[in-house]
Amino acid sequence: MTERPALTEDEFRRLCEYLYRRTGMVFTEAKRYYVERRVWERMAETGAASFAGYFALLRTDTRDEIQQFVNAFTVNETYFYREEYQLKCLTNDLMTERVSDKQAGDPIRIWSAACSTGEEPYSIAIWLLENWSRVDEYFIEIVGSDIDTRVLELARAGTFGKRALMRLPAELIGKYFQELSAERWQIEAQLRDSVSFTPVNLVEPGQTRQHGQFDVIFCRNVLIYFDDTSRRLAAENLYDNLLPGGFICLGHSESMSRISPLFDVRRFADAIVYQRPGTRT
Amino acid sequence: MPLVRKPTQPAEPPKASAGEVLAGLASANPEARWTAARAAAELADSAGALAAALPQETDARVREAMFTSLARIGTRESLRAMLPMLRSNDAALRTGALDALCSSHFAAHELLPQLLSDPDVDVRILSCELARSLPSEDASRSLCTLLDREAEVNVCAAAIEVLAEVGNQAALPALERCAQRFPQVPFLTFAIRLATDRIRAAGSRD
Repeated sequence: MTERPALTEDEFRRLCEYLYRRTGMVFTEAKRYYVERRVWERMAETGAASFAGYFALLRTDTRDEIQQFVNAFTVNETYFYREEYQLKCLTNDLMTERVSDKQAGDPIRIWSAACSTGEEPYSIAIWLLENWSRVDEYFIEIVGSDIDTRVLELARAGTFGKRALMRLPAELIGKYFQELSAERWQIEAQLRDSVSFTPVNLVEPGQTRQHGQFDVIFCRNVLIYFDDTSRRLAAENLYDNLLPGGFICLGHSESMSRISPLFDVRRFADAIVYQRPGTRT
Repeated sequence: MPLVRKPTQPAEPPKASAGEVLAGLASANPEARWTAARAAAELADSAGALAAALPQETDARVREAMFTSLARIGTRESLRAMLPMLRSNDAALRTGALDALCSSHFAAHELLPQLLSDPDVDVRILSCELARSLPSEDASRSLCTLLDREAEVNVCAAAIEVLAEVGNQAALPALERCAQRFPQVPFLTFAIRLATDRIRAAGSRD
């Protein structure tokens, strides 16, 4: 990529404010290089000759540029069975609690709230099929969402490289994936068809509330990108998206207690998770 | 296979009118107040109604949502509406307001000088926390100005605690002057030594 002139202080500030309003993500001067790289990429892609020209394209949303811009700023690297201890917690404790007053055939809804290219929701599906003995008794709906529409397309396609599968036992790769080429696998059609993917911005109440309430939400390593106000707002949105008594799993370095007092802390053998208080209605 | 995909066609639930939202803030039903408190952030001119409803609110969850909405609105008016709550006898209201103000960069920049000069000692103590969200130079400048004129030991202690974490080398002379003014207060002497050591150590790493 051709090197471009650095953004002025005012340009950088206006861009970061715009990005914050759209996504809740906060970038400071410390991340200037990261921000500028992505702006230059978008300028090259759109043919904008100057930052002012590009910013005008962005603000008028010419050729869906807002979504392309947001996509450029998201971090999407993940892999199957990441933070496996939470999956163990899901089947050892969370599911048992959630079905305690459900009937056979009732729905169980699980949301992977920042699913990137699909590794997390597909991991949940495989883990449940492999490790939860009561999996056949209920209708389990798994929803994956992300703010980045580009990764959702990849998630729906369900093809993965060697690195994404590095934690999966070979036996499971053989069972649930088809090898497409050297070091490229596609998850089997039945699994692809059983997970739905949809764009959601976690700081937009209008977008989160349309998806209804869930039994368990996985929201790992997302809130770290938000500032305090956006974190509080996202926590309140997630609270509304949980059924009373439902659980939320955060990344290992994240603590809901530092963000919001809305949830109860539950310490299980495999993980600490957060629970919306109240009994099921 | 027990896993199912529902054809989700998400539909935006109908939005309540401004009148319904504002009336909801006074509902007897906490669920309705929670919904109204969250929806109020998307209304123009709802800051006054939120600020008026907050001191009467008894449900901690609804109160939290009201503070989040005031912080989200983020205007001068919405942030100023929280300032009287810093004087409240209700600790939850005080800390709720402080947390919401701390989440706003505007509050730290614009309101901090006024708050650090407030005649109420408790307000000055709480306001030191706001400086944490400022860049190190700005935080050091604001808190050192306070330290040089502050007569109340507990306010100095609050400022020193924040300086220990976010202060820079420019804060060292003010810390030294503060130590000289309060030699008879051992905990302050200790806190200043700790802050000074931390700032020096951080400076030597840079």
